[in-house]
Amino acid sequence: MKTDRTFQSRIAMDAAAVLARWLLGAAFLYMGLSKALHPVDFLKLLRQYDLVQNSLLLNSMAATLPWFEVFCGLLLLLGVAVRGTALTLIVMLVPFTLLVLHRALLLHAALAIPFCAVKFDCGCGAGTEFICRKLLENFLLILLSGWLLFGRGRQFSRRFNLIKPPAS
Amino acid sequence: MKDNPTPSGVPDRLLAVRQIFGEFALVAVLGAAFAFAANQISPLGLALTRNYFPTGTSPSVRLSAGDTNSGPVSPTQFLARQMQEKGLQLLDDSQSARLFRDPRFKQDIIIFVDARDEDSYQRGHIPGAYEFDPFHPEKYFDAVLPLCQKAVQIVVYCNGGDCDDSESAALLLRDVGISNLKLFVFGGGITEWMTNNLPVETGARNSGILRKPNP
Repeated sequence: MKTDRTFQSRIAMDAAAVLARWLLGAAFLYMGLSKALHPVDFLKLLRQYDLVQNSLLLNSMAATLPWFEVFCGLLLLLGVAVRGTALTLIVMLVPFTLLVLHRALLLHAALAIPFCAVKFDCGCGAGTEFICRKLLENFLLILLSGWLLFGRGRQFSRRFNLIKPPAS
Repeated sequence: MKDNPTPSGVPDRLLAVRQIFGEFALVAVLGAAFAFAANQISPLGLALTRNYFPTGTSPSVRLSAGDTNSGPVSPTQFLARQMQEKGLQLLDDSQSARLFRDPRFKQDIIIFVDARDEDSYQRGHIPGAYEFDPFHPEKYFDAVLPLCQKAVQIVVYCNGGDCDDSESAALLLRDVGISNLKLFVFGGGITEWMTNNLPVETGARNSGILRKPNP
């Protein structure tokens, strides 16, 4: 009886992890494509963060980031190099979330309105959004990526490990 | 280095970490290659060497990266269409000049907003226009937002031509609660203003230093 319950909960956990992988993949595919289809708009939004002054670098970032997200989204949907992709997403999401937070704090101070009432287009691919919602979304995406990083979501994956672990 | 498994399992974990970082590097390299190739192939792709934010103006009408197969449209038609899609209204030079001469302009019932950067503003702006760089709005909200709330017509401009900072500024003001019904974009911008020999003020707002119109 106990074994049955353990087995069922493991199946439920595996199913949830696969769903999380697909959800994360679809989200990045959608966000990447929505930016890739309007690259000039994304370039303008990226410029507001003052990340780089050089136009070649700024153009390169605006040109490649959306497609890079599409690439990561596809890898997750197909289940290829899942842990490496999850780490890549965390590396992209954490600094970007901090940048968005920094900008939101500046606007919050300048507009003298409640923090959660601050809304702007952060260049995330979903248009103008309230900051608290955006931060929550990013936090969830980071959590899901972290979960996949720990080896979850193997089912229905084409090649979970792109680099094969050496036989011990 | 040889990582033999031990009862504690540490080398196994180390191997897993190495594997994850290896995959991470591979995903980063392949992803970057994919992204550059996709941008090159895509008809909407950005030209990496092009300056999309010129400080001067060019006579060409700006086109979004994908607009390569549309028929010939006049600059005004193109701009008007773009503004309309975003719920904004386009003003030409004579309409802008009329608003500038309107007595309500002196009372801040009609205001002009300069959406260029600080240097450009200092070099010359429409007399009495407020500075509002849409890429650093937090610096200007304090001064500009209360005025926009009170004003009945807000004319936003930048350099004109390829510049679309006026559009960005107008959209930003709309997003913070200014009705788009009172937001107007002067498409010709400062270039057209100067071409028409209208007064230009240099330095700070209301500095009183007017640049002489061209003879």
